[in-house]
Amino acid sequence: MMRGSFIVGIVLFWIITLFTHVEAISRDVAASPYQRYIVYQALILFWIGIIGLVIIIIMKLKEVKRIQDMDVHKEDEDAPFLD
Amino acid sequence: MISRKLEDWITERYDIKGLGRLLRAKYVPSHCLDASYFTGGLTLFLFIVQFLTGMGLALYYVPHSEYAYKSIVDIMTKLNMGWFFRSLHHWGAQLAIASLFVHFFANLLLKAYRKPRELLWVTGFIMIIVLVFFGLSGYFLIWDQRAFTAIRVATGGAGNLPLIGGPIKVFLRGGIDVTQETLTRFYALHVAILPMISLIIIGLHVLLVQVHGMSVPVSQKDKQGQPQPFFPNVFYKDLIIWFLATGIIVTLAVLLPAGIGTKADPMAPAPENIKPEWYFLFVFQTLKLFPGQMAGFNGETIAMTVISLSVLFVLLVPFLDKRSSAGKPSLAYTCIGVFYLLYFVAMTIIGFLN
Amino acid sequence: MKLDHSLVTRRTFLNTLFGGWLAAIASGGLYAFLKFVFPTAGKEPDFVVLNRADFLDIPGNTVKMFAWGGKPGFFLKRDDGTTLAVKGVCTHMECNISYQPDVKKFYCACHKGWFDDNGRNIAGPPPKPLERFDIVITGQKLVIAKKGAKVDLPKA
Repeated sequence: MMRGSFIVGIVLFWIITLFTHVEAISRDVAASPYQRYIVYQALILFWIGIIGLVIIIIMKLKEVKRIQDMDVHKEDEDAPFLD
Repeated sequence: MISRKLEDWITERYDIKGLGRLLRAKYVPSHCLDASYFTGGLTLFLFIVQFLTGMGLALYYVPHSEYAYKSIVDIMTKLNMGWFFRSLHHWGAQLAIASLFVHFFANLLLKAYRKPRELLWVTGFIMIIVLVFFGLSGYFLIWDQRAFTAIRVATGGAGNLPLIGGPIKVFLRGGIDVTQETLTRFYALHVAILPMISLIIIGLHVLLVQVHGMSVPVSQKDKQGQPQPFFPNVFYKDLIIWFLATGIIVTLAVLLPAGIGTKADPMAPAPENIKPEWYFLFVFQTLKLFPGQMAGFNGETIAMTVISLSVLFVLLVPFLDKRSSAGKPSLAYTCIGVFYLLYFVAMTIIGFLN
Repeated sequence: MKLDHSLVTRRTFLNTLFGGWLAAIASGGLYAFLKFVFPTAGKEPDFVVLNRADFLDIPGNTVKMFAWGGKPGFFLKRDDGTTLAVKGVCTHMECNISYQPDVKKFYCACHKGWFDDNGRNIAGPPPKPLERFDIVITGQKLVIAKKGAKVDLPKA
């Protein structure tokens, strides 16, 4: 699972950086319309990232609830983490 | 696999499973006012943001009256992403203070301070004072004309306290006037002394929360639902709030970057229409209510005394509110809490509009 | 579409997606933060322009210092009138060196390193000779340049 996360992370990270090239954003050069456009684009992609995380957490919470409602974790000290 | 090996290495030496059991054993009560439980976690998260962005800024800031202003302009214009991290620090501070005030008023109104949580209240009270000094000292570090004037006014205001006012003023200013000495002091406060104090106090505060568990308001005692496990249910809800908070400060930082005025000049006339930061507006407005002379005393002195005593009263609330501590509804202290909240909100709004 | 059996449980799938998504956002933030913390490094100059008369007219077996960026540089005139320009920083641990006219050598006091009047490391710990510069005389100007650097003098 760790390796899976790692690969997903790297792929997503490069997609995001390719789209935004964050390093171009600096206060004095952001005055031009093109730079402003990049800043706004980065902001929108960032929000997509945040909303994606929130959605995944909500899905995980539902999954956790589903398992908790099955009552399989009770009275079982060595059960794996319901993360 | 490396992660498996590392896990084995640690579990052979430390009882990680026990820590996991502890986490799973932690349950959070659920009732219709349990949203207030998230305000503390949010404040903690914003503090972490402040620590991280502050560490970055400390690498570039020059605490000298000649160069402080220029170093901030350089951070904003020359450094990679400097404008972003300074704005993040600026907006993170605003949100941290707002979130702490919400946390404070929520716990004041829900009587979370009542027995046996008095010490939690005391540590929280210290954190409010620490955060106010964080804000004041951080605001001064940019060394522009507004900050300079504001610090002269604020330290001068503290000087109006009877007896202890004079020494406090000299301590804060490092002399009789706001100079380089003041900048050195506020820099030390902002990057060394206050972070140390807050680490200790926040640590104690969080530890005490673990010892006592979450407080259930008196009115909700009999209407509780099934308690939720902290991990994973409540923790993930915390995470959602933290991510949204990150989104908000990043958006504010990008759309409304922190600004800077003209460089401070101790000889220049004060800027037009000066106002303190929003979390000081209520003090500012209160001072305006008092006339210059009252019954032969200096009006400012009386005003500062009244404000200090009202703040001190907040610290003593858990020790005075006997009914709450006995587990009974305490209408008098609900009224006092509502009055404090209304006063704070009203004075802040009036201060804004003026 | 619903599969009866799958090797990946819903929980593993969600955990992987969550971990990866989080790692991506965190590395984006970390990348920006590292860009901020590591400043764009300045570089040493490719050449410095000096006044010819100040340097060529010094007596034999003496040195005259010049500023090479933030570090010292030495202009040496030997007894026979030949010249040498070196960076005045020891190749061992970056201490500043000095010229000893009585033995006609450069000396580094940090760890007792010696260089001869050609900049070669002859005794002590220094692993490499001193960095030698090209000396170019153009009109009234003396240009001291890094070996192989292209010298573009601004048109006066």
